[in-house]
Amino acid sequence: MAIRLLVNLARFAVTYVAATVLVFLFMRAIPGDPAQIALGVNATPELLAQTRAEFGTDRPLIVQYFDWALGLPMGDFGTSYVTRQDISPLVLDRVQVSLILVVLAMIVALLIAVPFGTLAAVKHRSPGGILVSGASQLGVAVPNFLAGILLVVVFAVGLGWFPANGWTAPAEDFGDFLSRVALPVLALASVQGAILTRYVRSAVMEVMSEDYLRTARAKGLGKMEALLKHGLRNASIPVLTVTSVQLAALIIGAVVIERVFVIPGLGSMLLDAVGNRDLLTVQSVVMVLVAITLIINLVVDVLYTVLDPRIRKAS
Amino acid sequence: MEMKFRFDEGALMRRSSKKFSLAAAVLAGALSLTACNAGAGSTASGEAAKDSVTVALTGEPVNLDFTTTAGAAIPQALMSNVYEGLVEIDQEGNIQPLLAESWELSEDRKTYTFKLREGATFSNGEPFTAEDVKFSIERVQSDEWVSSLKSKMDVVDSVNVLSDTEVEVVLKQPSNAWLFDMGTLVGAMFDPSGVEDLANTAIGTGPYTIEAWNRGQSIELAARDDYWGEAPGVETATLRYFADAVATTNALQSGDVDVVYNMQAPELLSSFEGDDKYQVLEGTSNGEIVLSMNNQEAPFDDVRVRQAVMHAIDRQAVVDTAWNGYGTVVGGPVPPTDPYYEDLNDVYPYDPAKARELLKEAGAENLDITFTVPTRPYATAVSEIVVSQLAEVGINAKIESAEFPAVWLDQVFTKHDYQMSVVLAVESRDVLAMFNNPDYYLGYDNSKIKDAAAEADAADEAGYAEGMKDVVRTIVDDAAANTLFIFPNIVVADANVTGIPANSVTEALDLTNIGWK
Amino acid sequence: MTTQPAAVVRSTRRRPPATLLVGAALVLLVVLAALVSFIWTPYNPEQAFPADRLQGSSAAHLMGTDRYGRDVFSGILYGARITLLVGLVAVGIALLVGTPLGILAGMRGGAVEEVSMRAADILLAFPALLVAIMFGAVFGASTTTAMLAIGIGSIPGFARVARSGTLQVMSTEYVLAAKASSQSAFRIARRHVLPNIAGMVVVQCSVSFAIAVLAEAALSFLGLGTPPPVPSWGRMLQESQQFLGTYPMLAVWPGLAIAVAVLGFNLLGDGLRDKFDPKLNGGR
Repeated sequence: MAIRLLVNLARFAVTYVAATVLVFLFMRAIPGDPAQIALGVNATPELLAQTRAEFGTDRPLIVQYFDWALGLPMGDFGTSYVTRQDISPLVLDRVQVSLILVVLAMIVALLIAVPFGTLAAVKHRSPGGILVSGASQLGVAVPNFLAGILLVVVFAVGLGWFPANGWTAPAEDFGDFLSRVALPVLALASVQGAILTRYVRSAVMEVMSEDYLRTARAKGLGKMEALLKHGLRNASIPVLTVTSVQLAALIIGAVVIERVFVIPGLGSMLLDAVGNRDLLTVQSVVMVLVAITLIINLVVDVLYTVLDPRIRKAS
Repeated sequence: MEMKFRFDEGALMRRSSKKFSLAAAVLAGALSLTACNAGAGSTASGEAAKDSVTVALTGEPVNLDFTTTAGAAIPQALMSNVYEGLVEIDQEGNIQPLLAESWELSEDRKTYTFKLREGATFSNGEPFTAEDVKFSIERVQSDEWVSSLKSKMDVVDSVNVLSDTEVEVVLKQPSNAWLFDMGTLVGAMFDPSGVEDLANTAIGTGPYTIEAWNRGQSIELAARDDYWGEAPGVETATLRYFADAVATTNALQSGDVDVVYNMQAPELLSSFEGDDKYQVLEGTSNGEIVLSMNNQEAPFDDVRVRQAVMHAIDRQAVVDTAWNGYGTVVGGPVPPTDPYYEDLNDVYPYDPAKARELLKEAGAENLDITFTVPTRPYATAVSEIVVSQLAEVGINAKIESAEFPAVWLDQVFTKHDYQMSVVLAVESRDVLAMFNNPDYYLGYDNSKIKDAAAEADAADEAGYAEGMKDVVRTIVDDAAANTLFIFPNIVVADANVTGIPANSVTEALDLTNIGWK
Repeated sequence: MTTQPAAVVRSTRRRPPATLLVGAALVLLVVLAALVSFIWTPYNPEQAFPADRLQGSSAAHLMGTDRYGRDVFSGILYGARITLLVGLVAVGIALLVGTPLGILAGMRGGAVEEVSMRAADILLAFPALLVAIMFGAVFGASTTTAMLAIGIGSIPGFARVARSGTLQVMSTEYVLAAKASSQSAFRIARRHVLPNIAGMVVVQCSVSFAIAVLAEAALSFLGLGTPPPVPSWGRMLQESQQFLGTYPMLAVWPGLAIAVAVLGFNLLGDGLRDKFDPKLNGGR
């Protein structure tokens, strides 16, 4: 198993390094000279050259790459030549915001999905179950930004129950944090909950068809009872896998919601940096997002290896 | 309570009667609200005797250093609030004393002698003296300033310190434009010990200092207690930044912000107009929406084709459709607040038949062109209706969108790789910057206006206005570009906020008079 | 924008054919709208009629008009074309790249598997939205960059489905027999693997299509998708934001169109999954 873990780690490292090269090269292809954008209208050739030298964008690519890539693991993303600030603390702030938002949304989504998904599976022939299945299908079909806009129109602008947008750090003012985070979390969780409901439903249905559950029921246990006693643990493994994969997808997927609710997360930072042609910030944010995804995948792989050695066969 | 809003009366008169009554109703509503202050106080911002105000803006500064970084957001936040100049431009576009109490102009109109205000200090405690004036002006001319605007200081020959409170600026030739420019960001006064980290710290003589900057969210300005002048209306002014206009008005409606300044989606106003909890102000700005044509490339190198475009476009319909009727149609590239403004709508009235005729003359019937549109709300809105009107005279314009600023600057502005574009030209008194330079992206051949412009700048004030009017008329006659309309400065605010500068005459958003009833 | 690894959703029981029928009907509706737009739309969807702006539903304008006086119904019809185009190209890219990658990995094992799966891993770390933002920055926002980005983002899904299917097929007796009779790998892939995993891949197509529709809408909403004046549902939705208080129907129509398309492809995928042998729908 130790070897297995090492292999996982090595794969992670290879993927990570390949990703840094890809991201770096890709960013160099962006049209629009950062110096030109910093200077704006009427930049003269002399000013441009002076600014390029100041930014370091006149150095050879390979030098620029190692300068950046070697700093990354140390948490040193360099100094943005657009904001003239160290990128790392800014990114750290944004990562926190994004993670809080996404993790909260995922928790709420699970709180929706587990009971409803189980219900839909256990009572899959009854009107209630069909209703849940139908609702989850509809929920998946709604773009999350549409859910967000509608929530703002109804609950912020219409009823005035919540602020329409903005962000307060939980440490600063917890009450304000909750009122501001409520709508975006709901927007993300409603759609995510619908997706997870479908996974929970099929996982539970699969477990219910397993022999041990049939045996339990033959022994006189009720459907629900048998499921609670024997089935849920088994159903939880695929659901947890999906949850973690979705978590990674959601961190970048939340960018649209961050835009709608004016939340200073990684996604909006990325969009702003692209607009300002702040290359160093763009590639750093992209790498942080990619690294988060890779780490989540690594953790899932490791957990699989630890929890279920049989998985080796399939993976 | 005194009404501090200063509307541009001209702009107000030119609006349709419906708009006029609307604006009047808003004014009346704002006035009558003093009486029902308590009743309107349902939002968080409605409580009496507030000492803070939150203003919503779109577009956050990337850093605080306008001496090296382009973009209107930086001076918008800092000028008048943190930095001050010797003079300032008031709401009507007139030059007023600020750090200079008074000044004298020599007979040959080349030497300005400024008498400085005593007791003004920088926020780092250093006194403001004549040495700082010399330092600041010479710094613009040095390599420290990396900005296209620095050329505005080229006309300065020398700066001589006469005493602590007296400074003499000698120009190479007389210039009317220079003193005005001193009221814009190039005239900002810096302290020699306060320029080390301009990108992150701003030290000026203004009434506010930067208290905090939550990147991606807001800039907090705190009033200085050692400010030389009258204290500003509120202790804390917060500038909150949003990605789009919808988010700003949502925040206003849910009570998160008190003022939405320079609102970019006039369609949203209908829910505020007629609601006496809010006030809607339509001021003028110095921004012109310019439909630019590449004067040096076919087909727009032919003046007849450009004139056809002038006749083909119903500018009032453009304003009505694209910007909900907000904005002033003036027919030329000069906003009403400039001294050489005149209404030039009659030069090219909407006349599609004439347009077709001109195209026929030029042998340019069924013309196919590319229309490069920057990704800004005003540009998208304008482009769709412009394309539709061009189609009616036989010009088939294909829209190609260019990300703004990055791609647009690179492709259109720098490489001149375009046929037609549309952009909001925001700099104050920019008509010569746009047309008196054949290398500018418009590519207008300035041989006809070059000498006249230089003469006007060197003349006395009356001669300046008259001379510039001639220059502008020549530019319009040549159909160098189609100025669609003057961009309105739309402000939506809580009805109890006073002192909002409705007109945007320079880059600055002057917060000093903003207060509460 | 979220991904849905299709392989995890498994059904052990035949659902009523209703899923398949409803899904097919909704998809057909979208396809019809797109086809109709080629020969007829009530008005030119790009043509502005300023005099007729912001009208409600009427006989002249079934779904009313927008701020420029453009006919919303024409825009919805034309938008179906953009939606399908983006979906087709994106799924096409993912199918053509991802499936062979997965089959190769499943059949060869060893170094080949390692390399191709690492490639899929790298791609997996760049979700479609992230790729689209990067593409938008480099090449400018357009329908093409959106299609490419979504396509690239969908490759890993296909690779994983194809690989796990291939692994199962490879252990069946007839493949072992084919191997024993020293048939070429290509022949085995063509004769045995492809037909057996085709069902799963078709299901993956349908599910990916639904994801692509949502992704295109999100990109257009962010201004990274189809540029104006070509009507796209996501941008229509974004433009309608200003009118939510005054003309909410401007948001309802494109929202509904997106929901119909996504629902259709999801249901179709579910229905197809039940139709094909569920035993082959192995997980990761």
